[in-house]
Amino acid sequence: MDHSARVYDDITEMLPNEENPSPLVRLHRLVPQNGSELWAKLEWLNPFGSVKDRAAWEMVRDLEERGELGPGHPGRGLVEPTSGNTGISLAALAAVRGYPMRAVVPSKVPEEKKVLLRVLGADVDVVKDALCPLPGSEDGTIGLAKTYAKAQGHKYAMPNQYENRHNVDAHIRTTGPEIWRQTGGRVSHVFTSLGTCGTVTGLATFLKAKKPSVKVVAVQPSAGHDVPGLRNVSELDVSKLFDPALIDEILEVDFELAYVRARDLARAEGLLAGPSSGLIFEGARRVAERAPVECGVLIFCDNVFKYTSNMLKHLPELAVES
Amino acid sequence: MSDYAHPEVLVSIDWLKQNLDKPGVRIVEVDVDPKLYAAGHIPGAVGFDWTTQLQDQVNRDILSKEGFEALLRKAGIKNSDTVVIYGDASNWFAAYGFWLFKIYGHKEVRLLNGGRAAWLNAPGAPLTPDVKPVTPSDYKVSKVDTSLRAFAPDVLGASKTKKEALVDVRSPDEYTGKVIAPPGMSETAQRGGHVPGATSIPWSTAVNTETGYFKSPDELRSIYLEQKKLDPKKATIAYCRIGERSSHTWFVLTYLLGFPKVRNYDGSWTEYGNLIGAPIEKP
Repeated sequence: MDHSARVYDDITEMLPNEENPSPLVRLHRLVPQNGSELWAKLEWLNPFGSVKDRAAWEMVRDLEERGELGPGHPGRGLVEPTSGNTGISLAALAAVRGYPMRAVVPSKVPEEKKVLLRVLGADVDVVKDALCPLPGSEDGTIGLAKTYAKAQGHKYAMPNQYENRHNVDAHIRTTGPEIWRQTGGRVSHVFTSLGTCGTVTGLATFLKAKKPSVKVVAVQPSAGHDVPGLRNVSELDVSKLFDPALIDEILEVDFELAYVRARDLARAEGLLAGPSSGLIFEGARRVAERAPVECGVLIFCDNVFKYTSNMLKHLPELAVES
Repeated sequence: MSDYAHPEVLVSIDWLKQNLDKPGVRIVEVDVDPKLYAAGHIPGAVGFDWTTQLQDQVNRDILSKEGFEALLRKAGIKNSDTVVIYGDASNWFAAYGFWLFKIYGHKEVRLLNGGRAAWLNAPGAPLTPDVKPVTPSDYKVSKVDTSLRAFAPDVLGASKTKKEALVDVRSPDEYTGKVIAPPGMSETAQRGGHVPGATSIPWSTAVNTETGYFKSPDELRSIYLEQKKLDPKKATIAYCRIGERSSHTWFVLTYLLGFPKVRNYDGSWTEYGNLIGAPIEKP
């Protein structure tokens, strides 16, 4: 395939890798003027709109290679607990491959994502978020998705992004090498968020092996946050992919700033970044303010289009009077 | 290690696996999220929806005696059956179902220790979306045990006379009145805080957060008796917001710790916090 002409036989050929990396764009106006270099990796330019394209593709191919999906199981599709992006990537891949798809999402997920899942033909179950702490019940979405996979195994295979090593491997195979190549090995810091922890664990594994001095900074929203897809460390017990030994620093940022900085990134840098990118940017900005960051890479997971309703909720001044 | 006061009310995953098809054993699933039953349940289990099937749909009340009889007849459950109840969230609403079965005098009722999550994660524990056809029974409630239920005057009396202990099983923020209800709840109250004299012991204190299983007898005794200083000989009333979390604590105090007289105040904060003139403590 010819990435320079961008002519493809099907959409999966556009999925990112070292030869076809997601863009790395330098930030200027919002960066502390102390010699710091901050670069945004625009994951929304992946074909299905987020960083999750990588893990979804890796997990689907693994299921196909193991014969869990495909000709050996006619009619069998996917079920996955998701706050949206993984579901959207999986639903799109399922559409290309002709598999049915069921996404189990928490009620907090923005309407835009639920509609996108339906646009892609997925069945969507909405699970009420924890009413109270629900010990031993796992996350409600995980419990329901596991139930489908176990009770209706002929209909559903469950990638389970919270436990699937391929979620980590996707970043060892693609994102890490892309960053290494795009920065010519200059990368000094990586800033990312915590969700399933596939990104942070994969990137840290790859980049620290290449260059042990690379600092991996995870930015998390304050407790009680409303930033879909992200988790506070106190909520991370659901992910088996979290490895604190690989993370140099965990920075907590007031979650409202996720929305403020997403707006700032659009207005000052022309980047239509989503709230999780806003949060990561604020974390990187604080680190750069402390001491110059030689070459920091920020993983901007997705764009703002899926969060217009959340933006309006948190930044009421964005409302347009009619 | 010592045992629970009434260990026979709990069954294990292994016991249930071995008794799935045993005549005289019936399984009931009661979840916070009723979608779970439809997606998959323990083979042979009947699912009861706590909002539409275990409560009166007109008056604010538990399911009536006639309603309970009709529900169990339709489910083909007999008076002589051993009923094993399980559910999500560490048997949160399953315990409410257990309480209802006891109010209507069902003799042999059990909870599956660990609940739905433990079954889901147990190797070789089957789940199915298929609903097994049943033959309706002639279930009859012969006595109603109202002593398991407390009403607002009982709670006002207990608060005033201190003759009965009060346990508030809601979250610490509900107890202190920082919030009136957990976020997103439609049932609420006019005032926040707690019943004067009530001890705060959130319901989930009784379960192991990793596994969903009940804590060991020694751990439970250490929490409820030593740390929180509940008197096992004293009559006790548990309450929460709508009476479901407190049925979990009612179960723990009655069956696992052996308190002789525990009542569940199902009116709970959505009644008490709306009562004109009811005294409220709000630190």
